[in-house]
Amino acid sequence: MKKQDRSSAFRGTYLFLAVCLFYALLFLVSSKTAVPALGKSGAILIKILPIFVVVIVLTALLNFLLQPQKIARHLGHECGAKGWLWALAAGVISHGPMYAWYPLLEDLREHGMRDALIVVFFASRAIKIPLLPMMIDYFGALFTIVLSFYILIGALAQGILLELFQAKKLQSGAD
Amino acid sequence: MKKNRQQHTPQRPTFNKVLRKSCLSFWGMTPMLLGVIGLVGLFQEAVTPSLLTSLFRGTPLYDTLIGTLSGAVAVGTPVVSYLLGGELLEQGISLYAITAFILSWVTLGLTQLPAEIEIFGGSFTLCRNILSFLFTMLIAALTTLTVQVLS
Repeated sequence: MKKQDRSSAFRGTYLFLAVCLFYALLFLVSSKTAVPALGKSGAILIKILPIFVVVIVLTALLNFLLQPQKIARHLGHECGAKGWLWALAAGVISHGPMYAWYPLLEDLREHGMRDALIVVFFASRAIKIPLLPMMIDYFGALFTIVLSFYILIGALAQGILLELFQAKKLQSGAD
Repeated sequence: MKKNRQQHTPQRPTFNKVLRKSCLSFWGMTPMLLGVIGLVGLFQEAVTPSLLTSLFRGTPLYDTLIGTLSGAVAVGTPVVSYLLGGELLEQGISLYAITAFILSWVTLGLTQLPAEIEIFGGSFTLCRNILSFLFTMLIAALTTLTVQVLS
């Protein structure tokens, strides 16, 4: 989709209509399931509204403070190890569901953020700093440390593998 | 010369203008996000803890696979995955399966796939999810083995 269309056109309308249709059918067949499901959806929406606000403000701030060339330099193909570490850290500290971060990542990607860093961001989200004490309580300190270590290594490995795959695809396309 | 340069330099938009653009861009995504949230509510209602428990058999490899798949289908905050993981551990489900379950809970998501495809494209989404799936299994195995060795 062209960049100009993005701000005006609605996206995912078919998905939204399909979900509405499914709920309508479920109400007719089993309202006992449909009502609590709708209630849970409403509760989720209320819970993640503040995250949406954060994402909107963060997107605006990044666009205001950083020029596209700067974003490309920090998170694009010429970024060094710093870019990878930024993506890793951003994934770890990001809060809320994955889909709440799609608009910001889409915006950064349009400004030159490389795909590998998006993969690193998503993969490192498995570490939740505020929830670490809870994880230690349930599964032990050793498990938490080992798992966190492998998540970070795995996130970087996934980014590198995606980049290798994309380079190979590009090369075979050029041949 | 200076005057000439000023004429060519594009004027920086104000923060309000950038914020408005950001709001509009987000507003355009509301049907997609509402669709995903609607799906999440449905899945939360359909995938119950007892249903999840009944899926495991006690074989490490099979349980890791089921743990990864059920974590990808189940939805909710990570806290819920820890609670369920703790419950499953008490019921004797292997650490392989539980690690895979709590990992895929956050990194994989069946309900958000349509939105991910819409935003990042089919090829990227497919690659990311395959990588995430394989690494969830790998990390689950490595974590359990390392914990067993170290303890």
